[in-house]
Amino acid sequence: MKGASMAKASNQERLGDFASYLFMIVMFAFFAWPLLWLLSLALRTRKEVFLGVSRFIPKAPTLDNFATILSSDKFAHYLWNALTLSCLSAAGCLIVALPAAYAFSRFNFRGKGVWMMALLSVQMISPLVIMVPLYRYMAGIGLTNSYFGAIMVYIALSIPMVTWILKGSIDGIPVSLDEAAMMDGCTRFGVFIRVILPLSTPGIASAFIISVINGWSQFLVPFLLITKESMTPIAVGIFQYAGTQNDSSIQLLAAACLISVVPAIVAFLSLQRLILSAMTAGAVKG
Amino acid sequence: MPIANTKTGSRDLALAGASLPQSGSGLGSEAARLAPWLLPLILVLGIFYLYPVFDVVRLAFTHATLLGDTGGYTLSTFAQTLTRPELLSILWVTLVFTLSSVFAQQLLGLAVALVVVRGEKRRLVGTTLLRTTALIAWVVPGIAGGIIWKMLFNEAPFGGLNSLLRLMGMAPMQWLSDPDLVMWSVVMSNVWRGTAFSMVVMYAALKAIDPVLYEAASVDGATALQRLRHVTLPQLRPAILVNMILITIQTLNTFDAIISLTGGGPGRATEVLSLYTFNTVFRNYDLASGAVLSLVMLVISLGLALIYASFLPKETSR
Repeated sequence: MKGASMAKASNQERLGDFASYLFMIVMFAFFAWPLLWLLSLALRTRKEVFLGVSRFIPKAPTLDNFATILSSDKFAHYLWNALTLSCLSAAGCLIVALPAAYAFSRFNFRGKGVWMMALLSVQMISPLVIMVPLYRYMAGIGLTNSYFGAIMVYIALSIPMVTWILKGSIDGIPVSLDEAAMMDGCTRFGVFIRVILPLSTPGIASAFIISVINGWSQFLVPFLLITKESMTPIAVGIFQYAGTQNDSSIQLLAAACLISVVPAIVAFLSLQRLILSAMTAGAVKG
Repeated sequence: MPIANTKTGSRDLALAGASLPQSGSGLGSEAARLAPWLLPLILVLGIFYLYPVFDVVRLAFTHATLLGDTGGYTLSTFAQTLTRPELLSILWVTLVFTLSSVFAQQLLGLAVALVVVRGEKRRLVGTTLLRTTALIAWVVPGIAGGIIWKMLFNEAPFGGLNSLLRLMGMAPMQWLSDPDLVMWSVVMSNVWRGTAFSMVVMYAALKAIDPVLYEAASVDGATALQRLRHVTLPQLRPAILVNMILITIQTLNTFDAIISLTGGGPGRATEVLSLYTFNTVFRNYDLASGAVLSLVMLVISLGLALIYASFLPKETSR
């Protein structure tokens, strides 16, 4: 009897495995196909582009499209600008968010829960809503076509999430370490610099990467605030480039698109586990 | 977006307040103690969020254009904007787009998370690959995502979907030019980018379910389907609610992925509220009406945020 029921159970498991694999294959195709297709187009010559899926693996794969895009001054600028904007804003974000995260983690003050919730609600406001009036101020005080202006807005857009993530990471450091350092005569600020910062490097690293990716993807802010082409970051650059391309240069657009996407993917994959655990730290256990 | 709560934190906090020296009492010293830590954050958010939001409210009561103010406050912009004939169809498009995206993302996110968890337990090959691929789609910037899907939906021979259909002997589809189909195309592209977020949340929530519950269910002779229905889903309820609110807000704010995919067309078939607001302000220079529309967006988001807040554990509010 027991043997029979176990056999039945393992049959069921095998059936489950089969169904799982089937589902996994379908989902993998759904998620991977767009990017594989992009890669396939980017590696083709102009002739092969029109052969559709029959040349999914191009007969004469070429890197010419990438070379064309990367050697154009325009794209070099776009990429460099995006890198500058996203890295500087991520650094700025950390400078503003770290002390706040420390205070939220270590101090006990009235209305803290409300403050944290307010911070989260801010995150939910569409950037479009604040860009409507901001565009006018920025134009009014001459901060259009200025990296400083754009970076400040980038910082504001990322900061609620980054503060939450950093707070979560600082929460994981035992308070006894703070206490010990203060017994030894450290000031609060000393504790923050010498104890908290070194111990929360994983959190800081993931917060940094998350805001770099946010900055890299940012379209609306630079689209509105930066009109000089030499200062445009890649997200806006690729949008404008796509508008000027036609069917006969689709392989170039594919290459450009891939180039604009890969840095974000690499940044994410470099710290995937850390980022995910930072984002779901203690998630949904309540 | 962090879904974090501060379970571990609250204990340390209590400690910090109780046992650390210089935890001054009284409101004045409290403010003085906190100010240096919180001031930069408050300044940045005050200047770049609070002030603009107030200004949006103010502008909604004017006739301002992007090119200049035209004095005086008025209620007529409100009336005019909210009674625009196209607004109803815009809201309908927004509703269909948001609801179907959210529903599909939640369902697929949960399904993928369930399979990944099962796959990890049964050591099936490819679970990591599937998870990573979904996450890669998630980090693709919105604008690039729109451009990628435009290439897939293209009706020329290099269209990545129609050439697949042809290969399988099926008729090609007019993904982006058929007004009845285009919404589903846009939803599909949005689900492609958005599902990983739900997957991550559901995965974390699944991992947090006490294994004892499953053991008990097995002892009672529950089948896999019964375990799913009577153990997994009830345990996931709070996480599903929170996740659905978060992705609803994300979807409502989706803008760049649509502007680069369809630009809102054909006609107005995919012009969602955020895109409509953008066009009103930055194409028609109608700042006042744009402010009214922004307020509509703001009210919806904050309403959802409030619901979200009420679902979070209350530990931090002490």
